[in-house]
Formats: sequence, C-alpha cells, structure tokens
Amino acid sequence: MSVDRSDQPLLQIKDLRTYFYTQDGTVKAVDGVSYQIGDGRTVGVVGESGCGKSITALSVMRLIEQPGRIVEGSILLRGRDLLKVDDAEMRDIRGNQISMIFQEPMTSLNPVYTCGDQISEAVSLHEAVGRRDAWQRAVDMLRLVGIPDPGRRAKQYPHELSGGMRQRVMIAMALSTNPELLIADEPTTALDVTIQAQILELMKSLRERNRMAIMLITHDLGVIAEMADDVVVMYAGQVVEQSDADTVFEKPHHPYTTGLLASIPRLGEKRQRLEVIQGVVPNPLNLPKGCLFKRRCPYAMPVCDTPPPLQEIARGHVSRCWLTPAGEPPAVGPEATGELAEAAAASLQVMA
Amino acid sequence: MASYVFRRIIQSIPLLFGIAIVCFFLVSLAPGSPIDRFRTARTSPETIRNLIHLYGLDQPLLPIEFGSWLAFGLTLVGAVVVAGVGIVIVGRSVSGRRRRAVGLGLIALVVLGAVGVVALNWAAWGGEVTWPGRFIAWITNFLQPWQVDGNGNLFAWGYSFADGQPVIEKIVERVPNTLILMGTSLALTVVIAIPIGILGAVRQYSLLDKLITVLATIGYAMPTFWLGLVLKFVFAIKLDLFPLFGMHAYGDTSITDLLYHMALPVLTLTIVSVAGWSRYMRSSMLEVLHQDYVRTAKAKGLPRSRVIYKHALRNALIPIVTLLGLTIPSLLIGAAVTEFVFAWPGLGGMGVTAVIERDYPLVLAFVMTGGAMVILGNLIADVLYAFVDPRIKY
Amino acid sequence: MENTQLGQIPTTAAGRGQAAIDEVDLTPVRTYWQLARQRFMQHRLAVVGLVIMATLVTAAIVIPVLTGNLFGKTSLSLANHPPSLLNPFAPLGYDSIGINIFLRLAKALQTSLFVGFSAVSIIVVVGITVGALAGYFGGAIDNLLMRFVDLVLSLPSFFIIVMMVALFGTGNAIVVIVAIGVVGWTTAARLVRGEFLSLREADFVQAARALGAGDGRIVVRHMLPAALAPVIVAATLGIADSVVVEATLSFLGFGIQPPEASLGNMLTNAQEFFYRNPMLIMYPGITLVLVVLAASFLGDGLRDALDPRQRVKG
Repeated sequence: MSVDRSDQPLLQIKDLRTYFYTQDGTVKAVDGVSYQIGDGRTVGVVGESGCGKSITALSVMRLIEQPGRIVEGSILLRGRDLLKVDDAEMRDIRGNQISMIFQEPMTSLNPVYTCGDQISEAVSLHEAVGRRDAWQRAVDMLRLVGIPDPGRRAKQYPHELSGGMRQRVMIAMALSTNPELLIADEPTTALDVTIQAQILELMKSLRERNRMAIMLITHDLGVIAEMADDVVVMYAGQVVEQSDADTVFEKPHHPYTTGLLASIPRLGEKRQRLEVIQGVVPNPLNLPKGCLFKRRCPYAMPVCDTPPPLQEIARGHVSRCWLTPAGEPPAVGPEATGELAEAAAASLQVMA
Repeated sequence: MASYVFRRIIQSIPLLFGIAIVCFFLVSLAPGSPIDRFRTARTSPETIRNLIHLYGLDQPLLPIEFGSWLAFGLTLVGAVVVAGVGIVIVGRSVSGRRRRAVGLGLIALVVLGAVGVVALNWAAWGGEVTWPGRFIAWITNFLQPWQVDGNGNLFAWGYSFADGQPVIEKIVERVPNTLILMGTSLALTVVIAIPIGILGAVRQYSLLDKLITVLATIGYAMPTFWLGLVLKFVFAIKLDLFPLFGMHAYGDTSITDLLYHMALPVLTLTIVSVAGWSRYMRSSMLEVLHQDYVRTAKAKGLPRSRVIYKHALRNALIPIVTLLGLTIPSLLIGAAVTEFVFAWPGLGGMGVTAVIERDYPLVLAFVMTGGAMVILGNLIADVLYAFVDPRIKY
Repeated sequence: MENTQLGQIPTTAAGRGQAAIDEVDLTPVRTYWQLARQRFMQHRLAVVGLVIMATLVTAAIVIPVLTGNLFGKTSLSLANHPPSLLNPFAPLGYDSIGINIFLRLAKALQTSLFVGFSAVSIIVVVGITVGALAGYFGGAIDNLLMRFVDLVLSLPSFFIIVMMVALFGTGNAIVVIVAIGVVGWTTAARLVRGEFLSLREADFVQAARALGAGDGRIVVRHMLPAALAPVIVAATLGIADSVVVEATLSFLGFGIQPPEASLGNMLTNAQEFFYRNPMLIMYPGITLVLVVLAASFLGDGLRDALDPRQRVKG
C-alpha cells in the first residue's frame, strides 16, 4: 500500500463510537469522536474523568474488552484502518508503531520480572535481535531516560525502584521500539509535582530526538500548556472543542473550555472564591437530550435541546456549540445561514 | 535467607515443646497405668523395665529429689507472675522501650508460671510420679529415637499397646504406604487442577467456566469419607472393577495389583483436592488477569498466549506454591479418614485406629510427628514463597 | 434556589447547578446494611443458599418436635420396607431394623446442625476475643497470643479433636462441640487481629480517642462492627466445616452414638448394610452435601455483600 506520507496525517480517528453493554444499560463512552494527530505533533486530550479520553486511546490500541465494543468508526494509521486489520497485524503495530504508557507506574510493571527483562521483551518481540542485543538496548534505553547506573538497574525488580523511576522505565519500554506515536494516559498524575516536571522534560527531549507524535491524555491543564501543540477537549464522550494550544488557551470558544480555564487558580490573584463549573458530569446511563453540557452551561438556550454540530469557529478551530464564533447566541432570522439555520428551524418546530 | 531459616528453626523449638506438653497432658489424663497392658506372659522383663524407664515410672514415689524442687521453683515464679500481670496492666503508662522489655520479660514469666502451676497440681496426684518428672523422662527419650535396647528394639518412642511392636517401627513401616497414596493424589491434583483453574479464569463466564465452577463446588462440598463410600459402592460393588479394601491382595505384591487397590482411594482424594485447588487457582488467576501489568503486556503487542502463560501465570502461581508447601504435612497425616474407609495401611489410618484402641504411645508419637510436619511444612511454604516472589526478602 | 421542573432550563447559574445535581442524584442515600442486603439479594446463589439453609433448619427443628421419639422406634415387621405411596409418613422407607429413615434423618440433621452451630459460636467468641486483644494492644501481647495461635495451628487438628472426644466422653455432644470449638478458633482470631491491626491506625479510631473514648468503648462500638464482616463470613463457612467434622467423628464411632441420631452414624450404619440397602448411604450423604453447599453459598454471598471493597467478581 503506497501512500504519500506527506499528506496523510499519522493518525486519524473518524467518528469513533465505543459502547459498553453493561447490566444497567449501555454506556456510550466514546460517541462520535474524530480528531487527528500529525507527524511529530503533540495532541493534548483534556477532560474530566469519565469523558472518554482514555477509552479513545484504548480503542486506538484495540485493547477494549468485554463488555465494551468498538461499534463504529475508523482509525487510520497512515491510511490503514486499524479496526479492520487482523489480530496478528494489530499485535505487530502495538508496542511497535504505537506505544502506550499508563497512569499507575506502581502497578503497571510485572513484579516478577526484572526491568531489563520487560524492556528487552518488547524489543525482541518486534525486532529480530538476539537476547544480548535486546538486553543492551534495554540498558541503553534506561540510560536515555535518565536512570543512573542503568546496567545495575536493569537487573532490578520494579519494587526496588521509586515511582518516578518506574515511570521512566515504562517510558523506556514504550520507546525502545522507536514508535511513531506514543499514547501517554495520565503519565504524571500519580507522581509528585517535582517528579512530574522531570518526566515532562524527559518526554519533551525524547520527542525531539525521535520525531515522535504524542497523544497526551490528562485532566491537568498545566501539563497541556507545557507539552501540547494541539488540544482536543472532550466532554461526556464527545469532542467539544479542538484547536492548536495557543488558540484554546487564549481564545476558547466552548463554554466548557472557558469554564475549565477559568477554574484554574492563579498565583498572585486576589480572590475570595474559586470559579467552578456548576453541577456534575451527566450520568452516562442517563444522558440529557441535545447538548450534553446544557445543564451546566451559563449560556444555555432553547436551541440547545438540539445536539449542536461541530462548528468551525476559525481555521483549524472547531467547537461543538450553538454560539456564533463571536460568542453570541445564534440568529434564527433571515441572516442565519446553513446548518445553523436548519437546526434552529428544526428546534423551533420542536419547541412549538 | 539462611539466617531467616535458622531463626525460624529456633522459633520452632518452643512450639514443638508446646505441642509436646499438650499431647502429654491429654494422654496423661487417660485412666490406668500406662504399662498395665504389657504385663502379659509374652513381654520380657527387659521390655517392662524399658517401659518403666520410658514413662518415668522408676522415679521414686515420693519425689523429694526430682519433682519437688522443680515444682517449688515454678510456684515461686508463678507468684512473681501474678504480680507481674498486675504490673503489665498498670504498666501501660511506662513508655516505649522499657515497656517492651518489661512486657516480654513478664510474658516469659507468665508462661513459665503457668507451666509451674499446672505442675504443682499434678504433683498432688496421689501415689504417682509428678507430671513434670514423667514428662521430662518421656521427652528425653523421645528426642533420641535411635536408642536400641538389648533385643535390638528401637524402644525410645515406646511400644504399641495393640501388638507390642515398637512405635517407631510401626510408624516407619507405614510411611511409604501413605506417601504412595498422597504423593500420587497430590501429583494428579496439581496436574489436573491448575489447567482447569487457568481455563476457568481465562474463559470467565463461559459455559465451560460455569460447568467447572459447579462441579468444583459440589466436589468441594462432599465429605471425603462419604465420597469414598459412594465410590466403593459404585465401582467396587456394583461394577466390581476395583477391590474394596487394603493395599494388596493377599500375597500379591505386583504393581498391577497395587494400582488396582490404589485406584479408588486415590480417586476419592483427588476429586476433593482438585475441587478445592482449581477454585483457588481460578480465583488467583482472575485476580492477576485484572492487574495493570497484564494490560501493559498486551499494549506491548504480546500474543495472548504469552500474556497468559508468561506474565499472568507466573504471578498467579505464587499463592499456589505456598499452598503446596502447606500441604506437605497432610502428605503424611491428611488421608486418615480415607485410609480408614479403604483400610489402607497408612499412617493416618493407623493414627485413627490408635485412638480408637486407646493406643497411647502410638497416639503420642503420631501427634508429635504430625506437629513437626506442620511446622516443617509452614517453613517450607515460607521459603518457597521467598523463592518465587522477588518482592519478598527475609 | 429556583424550583426547576424537569425539561425546563433554569435561568440562574445556581439554579442550573441544582438542576444538574437533581438530575443525577436520584438515588436515595442508603445505610451500609441496606446496601449489603441489596448486594446479597443480587447474588442468586447466595439466595439459594439462604433458602436451602432455612429449609434445612426449619425441617431440623419442626420435624423432630412433631414426631418426638418416633425416630427411634424400631419395628422388625417394617424392616427394609421400601418407600411407597401408601405411606406418606415414610417417604424414604425403613432401614434394617425398621426405623423410619426420614424421621431419623430429620433428627440426625437436628443433631448435626446443633453441633455445627454451637461449635461455631465458640469459635466466634474465642476467636473475636483473642483476635481483638492481639490486634488492639499489639506489641508483646500480640506476639504472645500469636505464638499461642501458632501452637494450636501446629497441632493436627482432627486428631486432637478425636483425642479429646475419646478421652473426655465418647458420644457426648457437648464434648464434641467444645473440642471442635477449641481447635477451630484460630482462623477467626487471625482475621479479627488483621482487621484490628489496620483499623487501629484508622482515622475514625484516632478521632474517637481524641474525643476521650476509652479502650473498651473504642473496641466495642467502633472497631468491632468494622471487623465483623470477615468473621461473619468465616463463621458461615465454619458451619460447613464443623458439621462435616462432627459427621466424621460420628462415622468413626467417637461422636454421637446410636440410638442418638447423627448424619455420621447413619453412614456407619449404612456401611454395614451396604449390600442390602445401598441407598442408605445416599440420604445422609446428600443431606450433608446440601448443608455444606448452602453454607458455602451463603458464605460467598455474605462476603460479596459485606465487603465494600470487593474487587473482582469471580
């Protein structure tokens, strides 16, 4: 399959739907999510717990298990649909072209095998190298991620290392096969703040070195600000805003994004109260009709009973909201154009 | 590790001592003189003499030299202890290290005092030698099983009341029989139960898993002896495939005959064991399969079989290995009731028969051996655990 | 706070917040015990176990009370009579000496269950006491008590029970109960000790102590309820064990003797008349299996229901 690399993004998620069929009902964890990751770009996926950002990542890796299922959509890795390849091919891609690191370094490493063993396993699985070479590569990777005395550390067991070091080992393991895309699911959430900073620095230098794209999943806007080129904001299984990092931080459009940004406490600011977004995330078994954010939104309007489409606010900036790019409620008179007008008209009929 | 093992062995000594006391205590309560049964035409004077020596019955009736200083000293200690216990309760206001030292010292006194108080009571047992004296006489002999008397008998553990045979010989005779039975059953159990457990966990909620769970639950719920009876009825009587009792047909020492006789008891034991072990294996495997590192292994691109057999299984087997260590004691004494039902000439069956027949020397020796095996088994289980789980360091 | 009806979007931010919470928070608050009962009821097997156990216990109480000494009534003319529709009072027929098997079975069940439950009571009381003392005071007292537990555990328990029964009273139900209880309390003690050791440092205990509560009050009112859950489970499973031990004892001839009825001695009897009436093995045996199954299911269900930290369903 010869595909011109220059115009295919590295990863393209199109209309992905992953549902969980539980005893209590169907949970639509990921419901129509689309975004893409370009070569060498870092995309930060941000949202509250339960918004579907991790499930999206697991769907990309095809690690979704019962009672979950990827119901619809396509995931194109350089044009190849990952949801259509067979198991053997997928295993080839996992850990090789796409690597993933997880949140809990304490429990993500197998306690009965040495760190070196676990890294060299990844290497020898995907490349035709002998045991000694694989071990050497493991030691090299440990050195690369900044672990002192890597030769000795490689022979140690995970419980003999601290949390920060374990996460470095995880990163070493993930990078040992030179993946094109690294999916990092909350990589620093479980670590101390100082260690967090170190790990982020490490990731930055490694992506420089390897020209690696990163899907960085986190709920921490500070991490996004540090690392991300592009930002995808998710809420209740949907993408609600997407643009490059500067735009999202300086000119957010969706009320959820504005709410998130406003709720960050800032040093030096004199305030009596912190800003909050009123309410709680909707119960996935009982989602509201229309816009999923409407019950918490300060701008909620009657038209919000109709699910808003992803509007293009500016070039490369989309937002799932009825508000105009200027932030005004949508016009429903003769000035209104296109999709918005149709939808508004439809909602008027509904209300009538 | 070596120092740990050494420490454990040292710790076992008071434990064994405690077991010895408990057994001796229980048996001492049996009525009648222990050696009355031996005074038949058959027993030689030397045997009687050894017995008297063994049970400390050759101590003077009024034990001025041997018993009383012991009892007196211990009573003194006991009095100190009563005061000591009071101090322990009050002494919670004493801080830190001193409290620990005081506490430990007083507890040592409590133990000795308790022993002494009991000893004092038994010292008043009219006409007989004091309990501590007899105990010491018995245990000094017990700890030297290699002693041989003039007739070449290993008399140190006493003679069986039932047939006069030295207890040591009786026990040693039976050990291989039990080992054959339990060893085979254990091997079969491991070979069958572990794959079943893995299968059930890997295919959780499938039809196969449900079937396995149901069968295992029922198997586990069946009393072993009843299962033995049922199997005897079905296979030995109705179908006439296997013999009912014993280890060999009279005079026949061939392997095939042994296998025939072994079949039903081994089947009984194995069914119940497999039911228990497979449930254990399954739950251990399930717990491991939900761990984060299994997800990491999959994310690396490992094939499913490698994830299960290399990463998950290695962790899931850890508790199983310790279980193996803990079943070592049962290798010798575990099949008692089954041996009884099938009249298999094994150690456990002999123990049961010994109690039925009030054959106290045998019972004593048997329980002591059992206790030692349990302690040994626990130690082996802990050592194995350290070997298998790199997180454990002693 | 505005009153919002569902469907209407409230206009103030506060109102919207409240509406959002209202929408989600429709589940009323339940107590620990209510939640536990709900979880228990969802467990089909546990409910089955409860039903079976309840049936067995009821039968064990009611039938012997109604029939009194009839279970021991022999009648050579009815010897080995098979069950027939004409005689609904003997649904299992008669044994070799004309005893009504069904009635005897009920009486035997009563005895076995009585021994089982009583022995478990001793186990629970002794176990909780020892475990609580060891776990609460810790240190040297814990050490001593645990050495004692080790000692009891090192003894081959079955043989000690057999020895105690043989020495102190063959055929005496009380002796059997005490023997089983004295040997079996170690697991419960360890469980309670474990819970207490971890609870000792728990915040709510520190808080109680800071408020001036004395040791006794803390132990009884605060820590015991939390530590009870594993004990309840162990006790239920212990019933199964105790009943089987009693049956084994009676089978071997130490425990309950004829003419008293026990599931175990019914099996001894059955063994003698193996050839004549093989079904005699099945009735007491299946009853035993039912008791053990019911207790096991109950125990599993209770474990899932009472443990709020339950991990994997499996």
